[in-house]
Amino acid sequence: MKQDTAAKTMVIVSSLYFGLALTMGLLTALKFVVPTVGEIEYLSLPRVRMLHTNINLFGWLLQANMGILFWILPRILHTRLFSEKLGVLNGVVYNIAVIGGLASIVLGHVKNVEYGEMPTPFDYLVALSWVLFGINVIGTIAIRKVKYLYVTVWYTLGAVIWTTFVYITGNMLSQLPMVTGINQANLIWFYVHNAVGLIFTPLGVAIAYYMIPKQLDTPIYSHKLSMIGFWVISFVYVWTGAHHMIHGPVTYWLQTVAIIFSFSLIIPVMAVITNFFGTFATAPRGTRMKGPIPKLLMMGTVYYIFTCLQGPFQAIRSVNEVVSKTDWVVGHAHMALFGAFSYYAMAGIYYVAPRMAGRKHLYSEKLGDLQFWIMTIASVPFFAVLWISGVVQGYAWLNPENSFVETLAAIKHAHIARFTTGGLIYLAYFLFIYNVLQTFFGKYPEEETTVAE
Amino acid sequence: MKIDVEKSLLWSAAGAFVFFAVGAVSTTIVPPMVDKSLWSSEQPVHEYTEQEMRGMEIYRREGCVYCHTQQIRHLDSDQRRYGWRLVKAPPSESWEYVNDRYHFIGTKRTGPDLGRVGGKYSSEWHYAHFKDPRNMGEKFPDRKGIYEKASIMPSFAYLSDEDIRDLTAYLQTLGRNKNWRVDENGKPLNDYEK
Ligand code: HEC
Repeated sequence: MKQDTAAKTMVIVSSLYFGLALTMGLLTALKFVVPTVGEIEYLSLPRVRMLHTNINLFGWLLQANMGILFWILPRILHTRLFSEKLGVLNGVVYNIAVIGGLASIVLGHVKNVEYGEMPTPFDYLVALSWVLFGINVIGTIAIRKVKYLYVTVWYTLGAVIWTTFVYITGNMLSQLPMVTGINQANLIWFYVHNAVGLIFTPLGVAIAYYMIPKQLDTPIYSHKLSMIGFWVISFVYVWTGAHHMIHGPVTYWLQTVAIIFSFSLIIPVMAVITNFFGTFATAPRGTRMKGPIPKLLMMGTVYYIFTCLQGPFQAIRSVNEVVSKTDWVVGHAHMALFGAFSYYAMAGIYYVAPRMAGRKHLYSEKLGDLQFWIMTIASVPFFAVLWISGVVQGYAWLNPENSFVETLAAIKHAHIARFTTGGLIYLAYFLFIYNVLQTFFGKYPEEETTVAE
Repeated sequence: MKIDVEKSLLWSAAGAFVFFAVGAVSTTIVPPMVDKSLWSSEQPVHEYTEQEMRGMEIYRREGCVYCHTQQIRHLDSDQRRYGWRLVKAPPSESWEYVNDRYHFIGTKRTGPDLGRVGGKYSSEWHYAHFKDPRNMGEKFPDRKGIYEKASIMPSFAYLSDEDIRDLTAYLQTLGRNKNWRVDENGKPLNDYEK
């Protein structure tokens, strides 16, 4: 089978899913403004929301990451992918799982697992394709032609191992008949939090660790820092799930443990950030921000700092009292999964797409730049209005004299602003997908001129 | 023998797994071993009837949890807001949930908390509310004004009457494992709506 078939397919398919996910997001936002839009069972707000999160996480982000890594890993390890056939099978099984899972959600067959609503058997298929991915990653490492394992490889390997347990715990063990109530909630939060922390963080960081030095043509700032970052994150991240239930009905010491470990997350995050910015700082000045790729990587890193400092801050009991359960958290989640990791994935796709297609460069750097600027200028207020409305509502709730609907009416402007800025992000997506599809399948202007000659 | 983790697939993998496993075990397996109230209760806890179980499944299917939490947190503001008249709602505790086959403690309050909503409204009220939260008809004049404009709860008019009955039966059980509405002498008022 032709080299990179699996990588290429997954990158293209995931980019298309991204658009679908954003469509669902925009529809959710619209329903917050005008709740009577699309009042039919299959498009009720909770189902659209579940579609939005599941398409983003599984259709888009995880698949994009797998595709990009299928391309990156063999390059770092100076070898080929362990098995291209297995990779393609991986992609097929995975997409059957995603499509089946999404169809089930539309029909209302769901698990009570946030981010894991896809019901059996589709969640088992996701797990199966994850095992196939794992075999390919480990196999590729085993047949490598270099001695040392680069950071990107550690993070990918870590994600493969951790995610297996995290996914099974949250999606399968939590559904066993004897697991009920708060015990079940605890297992599910273990999954939800680590889905972001031990799936998307390591995969996103793995990609950035490859892309930043490559794109800037500068060695990584500090090898020691990358080691510290990796080993500390593999120890501390997993403890934090219970910070979603602060002040709630779960064991008090478990909350405290989660809060303490949420704070220690600042260590690995700072290690990673210092490393990324250090590399940017030592890169040649003239070219380090040229084109959309370094811009996306830079802005993704900025969002990564913000979201990772917000996390510990929100976990403080007194802060949590105000912001928890409000729109603030929605802003936080978007900055992590859209701001940081989708930016990294888009940078990754812009980088690998021309190489996969055998082109010298991206279809249009200008268009890429434009897409970057629209998305960035729209996403800053997009996150900010959610935080503002979260704080407004959080404080309003402290006074029982304010009726609930009054506190809701007070944040109407934020919901309108979210829809508008979200709409801009949506428009920018079409520039992204056009650029990617043109790079793969389109005709480049210079090719046309050569034909004319 | 000198081990160079950076050169060894086996050692990197083993290290990443062990570091992770410490936290994973301590936060998933240890808590229920130490804190029995996560899965058992000394007080009696309501056993759901078949109808209420169906209601719980409708609650899951319709995704009510994405807008409603089911937990009165250990915070004065929560206890007052979700109390009844001048009685504060007691904070939710883990033993109250041990019979919940599916948990819905939730994380986002787009709508009010439902942790102790059982008995707050009549089932007729819920029926009218599910049909159209923005216009509940002439029988509920207190739902005029701001409710008509500001409620963003979706209409669940597409649910069959039977589904609404099951769902309401489930809602009416919520938070009732504590008989919390008491007068100033601590005597139960038992003034819950049916
Ligand atoms: C889009 C978010 C949303 C969804 C989904 C939603 N609700 Fe609501 N709900 C609200 C809002 C906002 C209010 C407050 C305004 C009102 O009373 O209509 C509310 C109010 C309520 C109330 C009254 C609570 C009180 O104490 O006054 C109940 C009961 C309720 N919802 C039950 C449900 C059930 C059951 C479902 C699932 C079938 C559901 N809701 C789905 C947003 C939502």
